[in-house]
Amino acid sequence: MHIRKYDFDYGRRMLLQKAAVGATAGVLAPLWPMIGNTADNTKAYPDELLSIEMHTKGKIKPGDVITKDNVEHVAHLLDPVALMHVKTMGRRINIVESTKDVTKLYPHNYLAATLRNKGKAKLGPDKNVYFQNGDPWGGGMPFPDAKDGLEATANLTLSWGRHDYSQYAVRDWDIAPDGSLSYQYDFVWAELNTTAREDDKVWNGKKDLLRYQSVWFTSPQDTAGSSFLNIWSYDQRKFPDLYGYFPAFKRVRQFPTNQRFEPLVPGITLFLSDAWAAGDPMLTWGNYKIVERKPMLGVIGSRNFMGGRGGSMDNYERPVHGGPKNQTFHDVWMELVPECLVVDAEPVGYPRAPVGKKRTWIDVRNGMYVAYNTYDRRGEIWKTFEPHYAQYSNDKLTIKDESGHPSWSWVGVLSHDLQANRMSRFVQAKEVTGGYKSTYSTGGVDVYNKYLTVNAITRLGAV
Amino acid sequence: MHSLRFRIARWVMQHRGLAWVVFALITAGFAMGLRDVELKTIFSDLLPEDDPYVQVFKDHPNFGNPLTVTVMVRRKSGDIYNPETLAKVWQLTRDIDLAPGVDHDQILSISTEKARYAEATPFGIDMRPLMGDFVPKTPEEIADFRTRVDKSPGARNFLISGDSTATLINATFIEARLDYGEAFQFVQDLVEKNRDAEHDVYLAGQPALTGWVYALESQMFGIFAVTLGALVLFLVLYMRNIVGVVTPIVTSAVAAIWGFGLTGWLKSPIEPLLMIVPLLLVARSFSHCVQFTERYYEIYAEVKDRTKAAEITMGVMMAPSVLGIFTDIVGIFIIAIAPIPAMDRFAMFCGWWAVWLIPTGVVLISLLLASLPAPGNVARLVGHDGQVSGFQAFLKKMLAGIARLTYGKPARVTGVLVVLVSLAAVYTALQIKIGNPVEGSNLLWEDSEYNEAVRQINSHFPGVNTLEIVLEAKDQLSPSRVARQAETAATRAALQHIMESGSEPPRATLSFTDYIMEANRLMSGGDPKWLPVDPTDYATNAASAITMVGSSPKAYSHVMNFEQQNSTVSLWYQDNKQETVDHALAAASAAVAQVGIDHKTFTVRLGTGTIALQQAMNNVVKRYHWVVIGLLNLVILLGCSYAYRSFAAGLLLLVPVNLSNFCLNATMHLLGIGLDINALMVAAIGVGVGIDYGIYLLSRICEEYHAHDRDWGRAITASLTTTGKAILFTATIMLVSIVPWYFLSELKFMADMGLLLTLVMLINMVLSLVVLPLLVWVVKPGFVARKDLFVGEGVDLSQFANTGTDAERKAPAMACA
Repeated sequence: MHIRKYDFDYGRRMLLQKAAVGATAGVLAPLWPMIGNTADNTKAYPDELLSIEMHTKGKIKPGDVITKDNVEHVAHLLDPVALMHVKTMGRRINIVESTKDVTKLYPHNYLAATLRNKGKAKLGPDKNVYFQNGDPWGGGMPFPDAKDGLEATANLTLSWGRHDYSQYAVRDWDIAPDGSLSYQYDFVWAELNTTAREDDKVWNGKKDLLRYQSVWFTSPQDTAGSSFLNIWSYDQRKFPDLYGYFPAFKRVRQFPTNQRFEPLVPGITLFLSDAWAAGDPMLTWGNYKIVERKPMLGVIGSRNFMGGRGGSMDNYERPVHGGPKNQTFHDVWMELVPECLVVDAEPVGYPRAPVGKKRTWIDVRNGMYVAYNTYDRRGEIWKTFEPHYAQYSNDKLTIKDESGHPSWSWVGVLSHDLQANRMSRFVQAKEVTGGYKSTYSTGGVDVYNKYLTVNAITRLGAV
Repeated sequence: MHSLRFRIARWVMQHRGLAWVVFALITAGFAMGLRDVELKTIFSDLLPEDDPYVQVFKDHPNFGNPLTVTVMVRRKSGDIYNPETLAKVWQLTRDIDLAPGVDHDQILSISTEKARYAEATPFGIDMRPLMGDFVPKTPEEIADFRTRVDKSPGARNFLISGDSTATLINATFIEARLDYGEAFQFVQDLVEKNRDAEHDVYLAGQPALTGWVYALESQMFGIFAVTLGALVLFLVLYMRNIVGVVTPIVTSAVAAIWGFGLTGWLKSPIEPLLMIVPLLLVARSFSHCVQFTERYYEIYAEVKDRTKAAEITMGVMMAPSVLGIFTDIVGIFIIAIAPIPAMDRFAMFCGWWAVWLIPTGVVLISLLLASLPAPGNVARLVGHDGQVSGFQAFLKKMLAGIARLTYGKPARVTGVLVVLVSLAAVYTALQIKIGNPVEGSNLLWEDSEYNEAVRQINSHFPGVNTLEIVLEAKDQLSPSRVARQAETAATRAALQHIMESGSEPPRATLSFTDYIMEANRLMSGGDPKWLPVDPTDYATNAASAITMVGSSPKAYSHVMNFEQQNSTVSLWYQDNKQETVDHALAAASAAVAQVGIDHKTFTVRLGTGTIALQQAMNNVVKRYHWVVIGLLNLVILLGCSYAYRSFAAGLLLLVPVNLSNFCLNATMHLLGIGLDINALMVAAIGVGVGIDYGIYLLSRICEEYHAHDRDWGRAITASLTTTGKAILFTATIMLVSIVPWYFLSELKFMADMGLLLTLVMLINMVLSLVVLPLLVWVVKPGFVARKDLFVGEGVDLSQFANTGTDAERKAPAMACA
């Protein structure tokens, strides 16, 4: 074991040093060449960053459940809100082995594009991301080995779901401070990239745009048919256009473009700004900086697929627990993530933003965030947006994407407005009311005209 | 004579060590509870919990904006449409968002995105903030902003005053995160910082009121210190010896530790607004101790043995002390029958404290007197050296003069005068109005900064005097969200219409129906003819959905609860005078009857808001004023009748205190003060504590009657010139503790309590000195002639004179006079 020549805290100490000098990912060796060669990150990190058991000196091991009674051993691996959840709200977190095979943390095509395009991205004079020749960015992460906060955020922003087209059938439950269910919604979220696509091509000549994105509600009846369309410019300094449609009035309503710190529908705590920890054009935020590199616990492994109960949850919904009425938190399976960038940013483009800062913990292996907190202008934590991911494969079922490989996507989110103590927890279901299913490809359907135009959302609203 | 109280006294003195240990242990036990003592005003606990209006308030605490502060910025010259004022509003709005515990989703001013206007565009309806991402500066930008305001009826009615000179910033706090003191200080600092030559800035709203009360309550400790200091100084000047000063202080301190410690153990918060009452108890304890000690001096001067003197004093004073304290206890405990949680808790706190005055004021004080060095100036203190100061002589002469008015021929004139004054007092007292409305809050002075802010806001905007009629869903989990159904919306609209078209209508009304009508208009193209929503669930639901989209339900929490089940109709009134309150409630009652209380999915409940809650307070005063007085009379009648073995004694004692109460109410009426909750408490304490004077005097008359060969006139004169002095002393020491509150407290509630208690104590004193002896003279009650009254304080000391020293412990025979 070559690792033995290092003392126990070597990994953490090295991460601290690296944060100070803006070094590359990896402790024992640079991470990205290894990912490119073998997709195995084990040689890049010492055991203490790959094994929760070694990291906690045997106090916590895979199979254990983190509760308020043992959370002190992993307190430094949780964001402050998750820690509070465990300490004070009865949350439980299951622990599993760390994923060593990095391919399980990506959609296949996205990782391939990332490796193919590695080193080809640049930030232009306007701070947008371009190929070296000035063309809009193509497939994969532009900055897999991000050196600063903006680069790391570009990786999150340009292709949110890491597919050219994603359609998420979402089931949401909104929990009141007393633990009771306040609201429950079914909605569909669709995102179609026109640039930053896996094949490096621009869709339909729309090179001035980054994506179309729509969301339409299908349940309950009083909200069904309400739909929204966001049209994102490629230029990340511009605000997306935002339209809403309400079937009873058969009218499209245009919303203020900078109104991004409000919920779309009553009761939900999700703001547009929160989506993917990069819900706003990245240059409408500023003062990006990496404040730390550290290991974290994240919900990222395939154990979380289908609710995490061995495939028993047919619609991919999740068992719940905790809170005053035992229904506030999803059951999740967390694992040790060896190295995360901790990136801070401020909403410089929003003179009236109630948010003062966002902090994002980003797994350097796939550039995806594992935790996200926003702070108010007093510096107090306001909200958390905790994502849960999985490769869609277990011993019962594997969902394959167009490339024939197991799909990868998010499976659930805990969006907790800490100050109002309202929790929105939602899952990417297999299917929601209206028969809409989750999918990661168009399947030959003209999704643009069906879901992603002003006319389309008026049709979605027909009841 | 071996009555029980003398046997107890002897046993205690024979087991002084054990008694000290027991007191020490109990005191230590209570002292451990002190760490959990919490002084806290819980505003909702000041309301009568069984009142239907209060029950609506408690079921729907969000309605009426209880967690919202309102800041009004007023331009002194010109209107708000200038760069300077608009910039000030922008910055104030941003700064309030930094307040601790503020809900960032619920800050509303003309500079927030939530203040919007609508425009039809080729793509549909465009909803935009009144103010863009910057403050309008140029004349063109300001003109454009003004045009937008004109397109926003919500802003015109509720954010900018009709004369355009003032605008509001509303910020709502999250209850679980709200520290009233901290939040108030933060916002108040902003308000002060933003006042300048061109702008007035006012702050109102329940959190601001609470903040003011908390801030001013901190003064209480200063006033407490002043008052306690005055009491101790008074004691030092009066006693001029160690035992006379230390004994009352230690005794009162131990009773205080027991009183506070018990509430700590019970974890029951103490209402600081009522802290004048515990101070009254301290004064009461001081006064009692002084009288006890003076009696001890007299006995010590005779028996020359500290322990024996303490034992005899304890035996002699036990019964009158217990009776006097008993009436205090009754007066305080009876406050608890008013269904006001804060008063229940307070009655328990002070009532038990008063109970503790018995063991400390009878047993502990005797232990102290037996242990502390005997004073060297006893002879002078008891007047044995024949020295009487000029002041004492004056007092004696004055009291003898008063006595002379109460018997013989002058008594006839006095009697007639007393009857006339009594009739006038009763008549005038019965004219007193219930309620003491102040524009703003009755807790603060009329000219306080807060009440001035309320007045200013009321004069520019619909204001803060609201009446809320609540439409409460029968099924709080109804999937159809009752507040957004057609019948609910129509009922709200009907209530608003009925109220607005009645006589003396409210100055403004608002419900969620207004919001959905406005949304309906905008989504239908903007013509006002589209304001009415089709009376179907589908249309109402759709208009509700469009209203709510893009904002949290919290933004409508003043008119509808978060789950959209319960809603309210808010009615604003110009003031909270009783006539306005009466009219508003009568009109609302009729409107509710007209639309019907019971509907398929909801019930209409009247109501909450400041108007209804003010009436609830008036109702509780109306309901309990006579009940409290009646019950007190009954209990004291029974207690005193038992003590004097005579029903007549009980009746005689009650006459002056009840007359005092009538005089107090009459005085209040003449001063323009209405009967409120303070008066209720003062009445109870006034009777309970005030009757002590009568007990002292009547007991003395009983003694002197025998000592003066059954001559009523001499007995009365002797009583007034001796015990009358004690009454004057007691009254003085009480006033020393109460009067500073009136002058020093910036909290009107406390000052009013101080004023009313001062008045009632003074009136009680005068009436006990005049009316009680007069009654005794007129009635010539038979119980006075009895020799077996245990309240008699007399003891034949001659048999103990020079019988020994401290070292000698012979058991003497004692006899009651």
